[in-house]
Amino acid sequence: MLEDNTEEQVESEQHIEQIRTLILGKNNALVTESVKKEARTLVTDVVTEALHDRQKQDSSVNKVLQPLIEDSVKHSVAHNSERLVSSLYPLVGSLVRKSVAAFLSDFMEKTNQLLENSLTLKGLKWRLRAWQTGVSFAQYAASQTFAYRVEHVFLIHRETGLLLNAVDIGNEEKSDADMVSSMLSAINSFVGDSFLTGEEGQKEQLQTVSTDSFNLLIKPGPSALVVAAVIGNPPQKISNQLQLTLENIHQLYFNELNQFDGDNLPFADAENLLRDCLLSEQKTEEKKKKKPWLALTLLFIIATSLGYQVVSWVKNQQLHKKIMQLDHEPGVVIRQLTINNLDDIYLDILRDPNAVILTQWLKDNNLAVEKFTIVEQNYHSLDSKILFYRAEKIVNKFPQLSLSWKNSSLSLSGKLDFSDYQQLLSALAIAGFTKERNLNIEQLQLASTHKIVSSRQVKQQIFDDLVGRISSTQLDFAVESEEITAKMQISLDQIEQYMAQLSVLAKELSINIGLLIIGCSDNTGNIATNKALSLNRAKNTEKELIKKGLDAEQVHVIGLGQIDINAVKNTARKVIFNVVYINEAHIKDSQLIP
Amino acid sequence: MIQKKICLLGASSVGKTSLVKQFVEGIFSEKYLTTIGVKVDKKSLVVDDEEINFMLWDIEGSDRYNVFEERYLRGAAGYIIVVDQTRASSLIEGLDIHTLAKQVTSCPAVLAINKSDLPSTWHLSAIEQDAYQKLFDLQFTTSAKTGEHVDDMFLALAALLLKDKKNDITAE
Repeated sequence: MLEDNTEEQVESEQHIEQIRTLILGKNNALVTESVKKEARTLVTDVVTEALHDRQKQDSSVNKVLQPLIEDSVKHSVAHNSERLVSSLYPLVGSLVRKSVAAFLSDFMEKTNQLLENSLTLKGLKWRLRAWQTGVSFAQYAASQTFAYRVEHVFLIHRETGLLLNAVDIGNEEKSDADMVSSMLSAINSFVGDSFLTGEEGQKEQLQTVSTDSFNLLIKPGPSALVVAAVIGNPPQKISNQLQLTLENIHQLYFNELNQFDGDNLPFADAENLLRDCLLSEQKTEEKKKKKPWLALTLLFIIATSLGYQVVSWVKNQQLHKKIMQLDHEPGVVIRQLTINNLDDIYLDILRDPNAVILTQWLKDNNLAVEKFTIVEQNYHSLDSKILFYRAEKIVNKFPQLSLSWKNSSLSLSGKLDFSDYQQLLSALAIAGFTKERNLNIEQLQLASTHKIVSSRQVKQQIFDDLVGRISSTQLDFAVESEEITAKMQISLDQIEQYMAQLSVLAKELSINIGLLIIGCSDNTGNIATNKALSLNRAKNTEKELIKKGLDAEQVHVIGLGQIDINAVKNTARKVIFNVVYINEAHIKDSQLIP
Repeated sequence: MIQKKICLLGASSVGKTSLVKQFVEGIFSEKYLTTIGVKVDKKSLVVDDEEINFMLWDIEGSDRYNVFEERYLRGAAGYIIVVDQTRASSLIEGLDIHTLAKQVTSCPAVLAINKSDLPSTWHLSAIEQDAYQKLFDLQFTTSAKTGEHVDDMFLALAALLLKDKKNDITAE
């Protein structure tokens, strides 16, 4: 029975096969051919939808297209760059702007991160911990910052343990991926053989390897392994992604994996697939977009110090201006003013003793004396205010005098005896007052002569004294000079005064007087010239005296020329004076004698 | 880049690790440290303008207490049986390992008679020599200490692998 059944079955199958061959042709050739004719139309109808569906299903379209597109773009850039440039041109401007903006914000963020890492307590703590555990700071920081992060992904050929491709996050020092993959395969083999087989004869397979700082997640496939080195706690998500990638790789590189002979070039494109596995997630509290406080603080500090600099500069300028007011004070000259800072000021001045006292001036201007280093030297000021002050001080010693100040000139009035008069004039001359420039003493009267000279005898004595004084006065001229110098003026002033007093006395004593002005010269040069020179010296002297108020009638001028006295003849460039007086009483007396 | 997995097999203390160390780092150490399990090293070399990367699997020595483990041989592109010319027993053990290895792989095999710097205690007769030459694809007398023929051996193996691509490990 059984045999019959079998025979029947075989027979019917043969029939069906015959019918199938009739309808479909040998090896479905009829159908294939007719479909082939329409292939283009058929595929055209569904190609978009098919791509869409497949992409939706497992995203494999992208991965197949990506290398193709990359190649075509590469080709375009190499061979048809002009067209590419012109189509990209409108985009470039905004791209650059965007990239610059992105760079700046990234830079700010990084600076902040750097500051945070190096300056904050947390940063220092991390550094210490990293140092203690012997890992690099960057690695430790990453392990603290990220809940997890895939650092490396390896694609390893299962049979040989050779590395097919590897990708990494890009900022870590590269470990030797070749060695890692080989050692991993060795360990895997060891584990597989050591723990022998499971129930269904399957070897044990290493799934994870954990170290202090990272976990290795291993996804084994029939021909290849995908291994991810993860820091932190890897979630299920990574495992799923690894599985998906592994399946994709097996699908896309089925032949290459089976025919692998040590050349990993065909797997270069798998990089894109592996990159999908470089997942990471920041710790939630770190995830919040933080304000870059440290960078802002730094900015604030810079702005504050800049502001402080500006304010102190302005203050310095104001202070400088204020102190420079001192220069306008009469009798004060600022030689140097240096403001190192608001509490350290160096001031070097010249000051007339009669000018304002510096400490007092500072006090009056609300400036703290203790902040100043003061160097002060005295000088003699000719400032009109100081001159007046000085004159006031001198004149105040003579209470009977009064003074007035008009057009920078001092006028004195009052009565004064002769010695006080002498004293006053010399003091004023030292203080900078002369009759030629700024002193008016027309109102000043000599009171003393009337009082003191009372009796005839005393008057005669004074008369003799004055004659002596005049005769002892000499003017010294320079070689070949007939000019009346400032020094001579003082002597001439005195002679004029003496002559004034002498005239009064002479009148009272009935004595006629005259002044002889005798010019002399040294013996160098022509005698006639010397004679003329000596006469001119005498004449000039006369002129000055007359200018000062002497009566011209009383003067007689003589030019002696050279003086033939050995002791003086070489240097006698002089004008000498002599008073000629004739007592009227004596004349009468002598006339009376027969 | 072409990568090849090369295994070093042999009795214990014949100088497998020293050969690798000499080849990879160019140094030799008198210290003896027994290898446990396997140690992998890498060395790039250039043969006929083609760069080839050797992944050298230095496998622990086998003796009567430590049976040869074929697992590490999987996927190897070639292997080197190392024997010690001062110990005749190491040759016997090496040949045993070779026989076992032939059962799991058909890749090229090299015989390295090591420690040529020391006086040998055995010599191959002409007949033996001939017999062994048929067993192995290449044969070298090496010294890990002086470096004699070490590079030559690896370079010859690389040339053989590149020339004879039919020996592809995946084409079993």
